[in-house]
Amino acid sequence: MTLQHPHAELSAYIDGALVPAAKAAVDGHLAACALCRAHVAQLRGTATLLQALPDPVPSRRLVPRLAGPAWLAPLRTVMTLASGTAVFLFIASSLVSNISFLAGGSATSAQKAGRDAAANVQAPTAAGPASSSTSAPPPAVSPNAARALGPTASPSLSPGGAAESGAAAVDAAKRSDRSTAAPGAPGAGAPQETGRFASSEPQRSPVLNPWLWLALAVISGAIAIALQRRLRSSV
Amino acid sequence: MSAAPDSEIQHLIERARTGDTRAFEDLARREERALYRHALRIVGTTTDAEDVVQDALFSAWRSIASFQGLSFRAWLFRIATNRALDHLRARKRRPELPLDPPDDDDVTWAEPVAPGPDLPQLAGDQEALALVEEALGALPAEQRTAILLRDVEGFPYEEIAIITSVEIGTVKSRIHRGRLAVRNALIARGWRGPDG
Repeated sequence: MTLQHPHAELSAYIDGALVPAAKAAVDGHLAACALCRAHVAQLRGTATLLQALPDPVPSRRLVPRLAGPAWLAPLRTVMTLASGTAVFLFIASSLVSNISFLAGGSATSAQKAGRDAAANVQAPTAAGPASSSTSAPPPAVSPNAARALGPTASPSLSPGGAAESGAAAVDAAKRSDRSTAAPGAPGAGAPQETGRFASSEPQRSPVLNPWLWLALAVISGAIAIALQRRLRSSV
Repeated sequence: MSAAPDSEIQHLIERARTGDTRAFEDLARREERALYRHALRIVGTTTDAEDVVQDALFSAWRSIASFQGLSFRAWLFRIATNRALDHLRARKRRPELPLDPPDDDDVTWAEPVAPGPDLPQLAGDQEALALVEEALGALPAEQRTAILLRDVEGFPYEEIAIITSVEIGTVKSRIHRGRLAVRNALIARGWRGPDG
């Protein structure tokens, strides 16, 4: 029998937490020491009482509500995809509108040249008062028609007459400005011609408006972020 | 304690680690009550215990990606225990609330002086269990935490050492001194021990 009581080891002994050598030493002591056997029984009884303590129930749910409603996750996915698609369409429509702007710039030059040519052709034949009249402005000829008249249809547009035609073009342009600056001008021809001219401009579809797609991308992206936050941290 | 097979728990953990909130909620629900009773016996009041557990579970969710090594249950208990002890420390700074008793090394063995109730009588007696609760509440927080983790939750010494971030020798000492203090409180009320 070991004379020294292994008090500090008794709890670990009943929990089976001693290494084999220490356990054997305590076993040897307990075989001969009634006091330590009583203490072991009391410690075991205490542990049993602790295990028998009542199980309190919380008054509310303690698990955070992380998942949220079932429709949140699919909606978040749809919004994320919508945002990505809108960004793609924003880039695509930007490119398309830039390309059409550049193409439109050269087309405008061609149209202007055509208009100048048409003015040159009509100027000699038109009556004097008619040329100063705002009711029948020669430059309001349809660019398509002017293009049809073109250099080949106008014998006066020879390279040699460039200076002359340039002066006429300035004059025609001024008259054109006057005619377009007078929307209330009398005469049925002017609105009709203007209408024809306007209808010859390319009509831009709203689908090609990049700002529309950028706005959609921002809105759907913001919704997707909000839904993601709701999904992650709803408590 | 969860009775689900380990493979099911493991599957839920893997899903939770990839951001599956429902899997985490499922795991957390299995431990919700155990965490609550543990936190309640550390902090002492139901409202504080509920707040501690809710904070701990939310913190666990946010750091689920870093979970590794421990059992999931021990990991949750580690977070909840730290939260509860932090809560106690914060409360200690408020002078109107009582401080924990000092962690007394000089625990002695009180001996029964007269015949009293035996263990089955005590275990079935609500008054006796209330006495155990009272003795538990009078222990230093570290000893209380150690014997709760061992005797109520059934963790092995090695996991208790990890949960409470101390050496295993310290765990052994805390459990022993805590049990001895509860035993002495019972003896002082007339308990003669389980062997009569």
